[in-house]
Amino acid sequence: MTGPLLLDAEGLHFRHAAGAPEAVSGASLRVASGEIVGVIGPNAAGKSTLARLACGLLAAQGGEVSLQGTPLQRLSRRERARRVAFLPQQHPQDLTFTAREVALMGRAPHLGLWSLEGPGDLMRADAALREADALELADRPIAQLSGGERQRVFLARAFAQDAALLVLDEPTAGLDLAHQVLLVAALRRRARQGGGAMLVLHDLALAGAACDRLALMLCGRVLAQGTPETVLTPEVLSPAYATQVDVVPDPATGQRLVAPRIPR
Amino acid sequence: MRRSVAARAAAAVAVLLPVTALAFAVGLSTGAGALDLGAALRGQEPDATVLFRLRLPRVVLAAEVGAALSVAGVALQALLRNPLADPFVFGLSGGAAIGTAVVTIAGGTALGTAALSAASWFGLLPSQLAAVAGALVAAFFVFTLGRARGQLEPTRALLVGVVFNSFASAVVLSVEAVLRPEQTQAVMLWLSGTLGYEAMPLLAGAGVSLLVPAAVLVALAGRLNLLALGDEGAAALGVDVGRTRLLAFAASSAAVGIAVAFTGLVGFVGLVVPHAVRLLTGPDHRVVLPASALGGAAFLILADALARVLFRGLGAEPPVGAVTAIVGAPFFILLLRTRR
Repeated sequence: MTGPLLLDAEGLHFRHAAGAPEAVSGASLRVASGEIVGVIGPNAAGKSTLARLACGLLAAQGGEVSLQGTPLQRLSRRERARRVAFLPQQHPQDLTFTAREVALMGRAPHLGLWSLEGPGDLMRADAALREADALELADRPIAQLSGGERQRVFLARAFAQDAALLVLDEPTAGLDLAHQVLLVAALRRRARQGGGAMLVLHDLALAGAACDRLALMLCGRVLAQGTPETVLTPEVLSPAYATQVDVVPDPATGQRLVAPRIPR
Repeated sequence: MRRSVAARAAAAVAVLLPVTALAFAVGLSTGAGALDLGAALRGQEPDATVLFRLRLPRVVLAAEVGAALSVAGVALQALLRNPLADPFVFGLSGGAAIGTAVVTIAGGTALGTAALSAASWFGLLPSQLAAVAGALVAAFFVFTLGRARGQLEPTRALLVGVVFNSFASAVVLSVEAVLRPEQTQAVMLWLSGTLGYEAMPLLAGAGVSLLVPAAVLVALAGRLNLLALGDEGAAALGVDVGRTRLLAFAASSAAVGIAVAFTGLVGFVGLVVPHAVRLLTGPDHRVVLPASALGGAAFLILADALARVLFRGLGAEPPVGAVTAIVGAPFFILLLRTRR
């Protein structure tokens, strides 16, 4: 079912400052064409750092990252941005740009010297806004939007980039349930067309429902990796999250529902 | 707003071009004495001399300096992610002033005079080059000292600029102390931002040399947009953030240096004009940059005309830098208050 590798990250090491503990310490992760891979784990496990290493926004101090078979350091910045799109956890809030202008920014790696978009780029941006259900926000300045609306616009920017691999850090943050479902459907559609995604997620039930494969990180390492059925178990999750976690199958769909046990 | 950027830029230019042309006409027809335009165009004296040797060069200079300062202001606001950025506020003008002042002193010494004449023999303009160098040094300080933890911090950079500005005026004032009284008078006028009467070939040279930084900034405009997303956001879209910032700083410094060498410290143009232009065009730098060049030209021509008209009765005129500061300082406060 899965195709050629879009991302091959092998034995990565990274520390943010000399003397600091390693944020990523020998982690490996692969994303194949057609695949949605979720990265889960407690705070400070190294998930966001791994996402940045995969996009080349941070340079690994050990190990190697390849995009579609080419090592990152052999790709130009623009070529890299045509192969991987990144959605950060936080977005600037004071932008006076409209949603459409922000979506158009995703076309940047495809533009020439004077950075002028053609009609094709405008169409791609509008299609991406529609994909993220943000087309009706197109002419509104980003600063006027709610957090969830802004998130949809920045998702549209990532979609407009037309990169095979999407690396999305907390893509569902601020999204209501309907838009979470829409997002997963959009990612599925892209995967069927040969794309792939690496998602950093905190919502474990959503991770189980949306992803083909999960990687559980702890202290910069990938502790467990496999299908949601093998990773989302109380035996794996409870020690990693240092709290008692219950997993029950949804009686209607069989999807795994994950909940921490909260004493009262 | 679904129109392409090129179309929006063309529309903005189409609106601002007549405004600038009107400003030119106002500038040419404003002055101390009465001028018979028809006579001047027929070549009758003294009207022809007044028009072509006095008013035209002054209006052209105002246009060039206004455009240069505005374009540099746009670039600095994008680079520092700070709407309050301005070549004057950030010390670039101050750096350029130091450069020019040093050359002025050197011109007073025997060795300096020899060096300067040697330089001009090679076709170099020492004070202009020194001003560009001074602006670059100021930009370097803002750029390096304004950083913390590998990121440029707008507030920090602003403080560095303000401190560097005070330093620059102290240096220039010290320089003034060693000058002869008649030179002091000239330096004072120059410091407060005065449009003089330059020779047309010099103005043409300045215009051509301003085109280079302007073209660099327009080419970078798309990338300046992406910098609004933050360094990481821009890098994720394939922008070489460090190189873009360096190029844009160098181009702005060059534009400011050339402007300051001719007119001294004209403040707040780079603040007022881009903000007014953005109200018309929105924030896209590919539109704002060319539009600000035109708007800046019109603004400084009109400010200079205003300076001449207001004080006509007194038989004197305030330097244009005073007019822009009187307009600009309250505008700066207004921006500071309304921005959240």
